[in-house]
Amino acid sequence: MDIAELKSELERLHSASFGWALSCCRRDHAEAEEVLQTVYLKILEGKARYRGESSLKTWLFAVIRKTAIGEYRKKLVRSLVFLGSSEKDEDGVSSADGPTKLFEKSELQKQFRVALAKLPSRQREALHLVFYEDLSLSEAANVMGISVGSARQHYERGKKHLREWLSNSETENGIVWRTKETPSAV
Amino acid sequence: MELSGEQKKLQALFSELKAADEQTTPHFGATWNRAQIAPRKIRVLNPGFVAAMILLVFGVVVFAVWSRYSRTTTSPHPVIATVPPIPGTGAEAPPVATKEPRAPQPKNAVIVARRNKATSQHNAMLAANRRLEKDAKSIANWSSPTSALLESPSDEIFSSLPQLNQSATQLKSFLPNRAN
Repeated sequence: MDIAELKSELERLHSASFGWALSCCRRDHAEAEEVLQTVYLKILEGKARYRGESSLKTWLFAVIRKTAIGEYRKKLVRSLVFLGSSEKDEDGVSSADGPTKLFEKSELQKQFRVALAKLPSRQREALHLVFYEDLSLSEAANVMGISVGSARQHYERGKKHLREWLSNSETENGIVWRTKETPSAV
Repeated sequence: MELSGEQKKLQALFSELKAADEQTTPHFGATWNRAQIAPRKIRVLNPGFVAAMILLVFGVVVFAVWSRYSRTTTSPHPVIATVPPIPGTGAEAPPVATKEPRAPQPKNAVIVARRNKATSQHNAMLAANRRLEKDAKSIANWSSPTSALLESPSDEIFSSLPQLNQSATQLKSFLPNRAN
């Protein structure tokens, strides 16, 4: 695949890639943008090469995940060196831009973000890849670099946590949701 | 695939999230161009390389210290220690070569080794002098076993001069024998 072809494919996947980068960067827009830029740089430099072993989307998402983890580690080391120089929001959700603030008018969506941020990273990633990116569990497992069984476990546990959160929020809001659920057909 | 109520709800929440994210997604061209013009990071100090170099330097220093220490403490020749003279014999006992146990402190070991070496050299010199003296005496007192055969009654005449106050008869003995 030549660079022009790859560029058009990346452009097509750009929105989904940014959403995935956001999820990997704990909803930090600036960091997600930086990660995506680094990923493109890696592709341009040839450090990340697509060999056609999986779908381009799966490969790209795996590269984004790895890059985000690397950036997070660097940031962690930096924060350990310069203790107390930067503080994050308590709920783990960064201050978003204008449109996001408008969107967060929906209280439920705001709570959902908080609940999502509180999930363990693997569970959040599995849920994001399945619900947000419409990937199958095997594709999600490929992106996360784990077995399908593990991915399924993370997915089920994450769903269970969100279900609990949903039922709590419903009780608070006085809405009764159906708690019965059919086994996952994903 | 039929989704349950909760799953539908989750799907809806994720869809809302996706829609919101799409609004804030930066333009692809901008990100791509920034990546293209981004300065290539040149790592002057690779952490792995630095760690390896530190380990290497540490190893070299340790080896140097170890080699220096081993050279000073373990001498190749055994240390000669003097044994005090045995009373009654009158003679000093010859130096006995013994291996001294390694001292726990390297500085003391060096001092002791040097002192022992100097003492042993001095003793060796004294012994050599005594041997030379003895040899000279024995050479001076030496006499041939056949020297008695060479002796004659007139040995005294050859070894002494005639005296003026000696009698004529005695002086005659110095004159050559003439047939009268």
